[in-house]
Amino acid sequence: MPSEITMPQLSDTMTEGTVVKWYKKEGEKVKSGEKVADVETDKAVMEMESFDSGTIAVILAPEGSKVPVGGSIAVVASAKEDPGEVKKRYASGAPKKAPATSAQIKAEIRDPLSIEAEPASLGDPHKKEPATASVATIAPPKAGGNGHGSNGGRIFASPLARRIAEENGLELASITGSGPGGRIIQRDVLGFKRGARSGAAISGSSPEGDSQRTKAAADLRSFAPKVASGEKTVTAMTKMRQTIANRLQQSMQTLPHFYETVDIDIESLVGLRERVNKSLEKSGVRLSVGDFVAKAVAMTLLKHPSLNSHYNGQTAEVTSYGDVNLGMAVALENGLIVPVLRNIDKMGLAEIRARSADLVDRARAQKLKQDEMTGATFTVSNLGTHGIRQFTAIINPPEVAILAVGAAEKRAVVRGDAIVARTIMSVTLSSDHRVVDGAAAADFLKTLRALLEEPGMMLV
Amino acid sequence: MTEEMERDENVFLMGEEVAQYNGAYKVSEGMLAKFGPRRVFDTPISEAAFSGLGVGAATMGLRPIIEFMSWSFTLVCLDQIVNNAANVRYMSGGQYKVPIVFRGGNGIAHQLGATHSHRVETIYARIPGLIVVSPSTAYDAKGLLKSSIRCNDPVIFLESEKMLNETSEVPDDPEFLLPLGVANVEREGSEVTVVSYGRTMQRVTRAAVKSLVDEGVDVELIDLRTLRPLDTATLVQSIQKTGRCVIVDEDYGYCGMGQAIMASVYKRVFDYLDAPIAHVHSDEIPVPFNHYLEEAMMPSEERVIAAVKDVCYR
Repeated sequence: MPSEITMPQLSDTMTEGTVVKWYKKEGEKVKSGEKVADVETDKAVMEMESFDSGTIAVILAPEGSKVPVGGSIAVVASAKEDPGEVKKRYASGAPKKAPATSAQIKAEIRDPLSIEAEPASLGDPHKKEPATASVATIAPPKAGGNGHGSNGGRIFASPLARRIAEENGLELASITGSGPGGRIIQRDVLGFKRGARSGAAISGSSPEGDSQRTKAAADLRSFAPKVASGEKTVTAMTKMRQTIANRLQQSMQTLPHFYETVDIDIESLVGLRERVNKSLEKSGVRLSVGDFVAKAVAMTLLKHPSLNSHYNGQTAEVTSYGDVNLGMAVALENGLIVPVLRNIDKMGLAEIRARSADLVDRARAQKLKQDEMTGATFTVSNLGTHGIRQFTAIINPPEVAILAVGAAEKRAVVRGDAIVARTIMSVTLSSDHRVVDGAAAADFLKTLRALLEEPGMMLV
Repeated sequence: MTEEMERDENVFLMGEEVAQYNGAYKVSEGMLAKFGPRRVFDTPISEAAFSGLGVGAATMGLRPIIEFMSWSFTLVCLDQIVNNAANVRYMSGGQYKVPIVFRGGNGIAHQLGATHSHRVETIYARIPGLIVVSPSTAYDAKGLLKSSIRCNDPVIFLESEKMLNETSEVPDDPEFLLPLGVANVEREGSEVTVVSYGRTMQRVTRAAVKSLVDEGVDVELIDLRTLRPLDTATLVQSIQKTGRCVIVDEDYGYCGMGQAIMASVYKRVFDYLDAPIAHVHSDEIPVPFNHYLEEAMMPSEERVIAAVKDVCYR
């Protein structure tokens, strides 16, 4: 019996995929596990492998065509079958139901757009997705012009900048030029490259903070209007942008968010960090405030599993986890991605630093593997490096809470009867009131605050 | 010159006031007494006549050194240099060589007025058959002049009256030679290549580069030494490394030496450039007699520094 190759679900939010490229033609032999096509999902271009060995009898979805998840894109004839026969059968419009692949099963049992329809078995963050895809090393998807529209789509970049961007696989459209007339120059590309490392949502005041400032300064220098007066640009949303739009709108409209903010005095944490970093100087490790926050959040979640949970509205079940998979919101030039640091509760600070830096790097380069973008049990969003004092974040369902971390800054605070300058960091917890109550959220924040104000408690 | 005349009896010196007066700028001081009037002799004030005489002597096997009081005066003997010296070897199918050195002060030399302040490098550097040399230190001048005298082709040797009093460490070795056609990387750097030569190098470029380096700009400084043939290999290698280039000379901009240098390398460095190549040159006006105006028209340290910062987007 011939088997169908179907559009796999390569991400939680994927509803359809576009066949970008076929590596096999009709009549060509294919082995199980062999790469057959590239598929563009809402997040990235991924390689697709065949589950079965045989001969590609017919390609149902030519390059460029969109296919809903689970839909057939090709048919593989087994060794005993005549590919020509199979093709004829399919051409006559009588596709036979093929044995379902695991991807297909997955597609059938869930409505990917419905946030509540998160089956527990798949929501289990510790279970890896079936190996239906590996990340293709393909240039990042073409971003639809970023303010370059006023040049009639042309991007002005120095030849050197172009070369560096090309060598590093960076898209010029996502880089802001600081040269005359918005010309992208070497510094901008290198800054963008470095920014990939420094933009870590979790990284707090990482050593690359400097380049962030440099980039900000460069941005300030470029006063050239991105869209000329009297003109307008129309930009098609990228797939990633559309996903972000759908997900966040759904979350905000469906989940009853409530917010609680605490100011945390991190004076002693800052001192500890300095001492530790001095000792670590030779090893090249430099911990950020964000690393400490991540560690403290993980420890706090173990104490408050009701926030380390997934909510399934259909089954009216809350699944709480005994391990912490921390999502870290990472800003991209035209979007947002949340790589996941698995089992962060079992990591030391140095490991958190190294792993988060690696994840953020690859998030920027759009080279994350699928299982590195899924399965978070709680998310942290950090705009501290952007100088934001306090903000509220939108929950990433099926998670039930998200922590928004602001900048660590000196503030005048009252201690006793005196006004003193202390390093204060405001954090805001957004919780889903269907699952979490105000007192529970407050308890979480109380524990977190205790750990960050007396970091020695993290050793206890 | 003395060393080369001692080494080769075919070498001789002629020019206006080089003998009895010991040279208009005392360059040939004592040479008449040493070598006698057969090898060091004064000429009438007729550049066309004595440069023609030199070309003839060179074709017949001698190795003349001809001193021009100023290269501005050679506009009257272009025919001898451009038509004859440069072409005899080619047009005789190699039967005749023209081993001759034309030397003298080139460029703006302080209040000599518009007619005596011409920068002639592009007039000669564009002619196949000529070699054009422009030293920027006493050390280079010795090594390059000796190589020029030993060269079998006509050499245009561009000095500056203002540099005759400059001193620098000069080797006593009579065999000290610097190769023609090879530029000198005076300082290695990673951020921007600054190219200059001759008096401009000595007058403003080095000082400007020093302040830039003090400010933290990692400049690579190249002294061209020879303008034809141009050492494009060294330039291209450097600019490919730094991604930025500023050329500094006191020639005019339009059809000037800097533009010619730029055009010679642009194609090969284009993909490596982070900014267009900049050119700091003299203003496009006749050279004023007035001291301040003359200074103002020429490249200054400030102009060089500004141009370098500009290409570095600083």
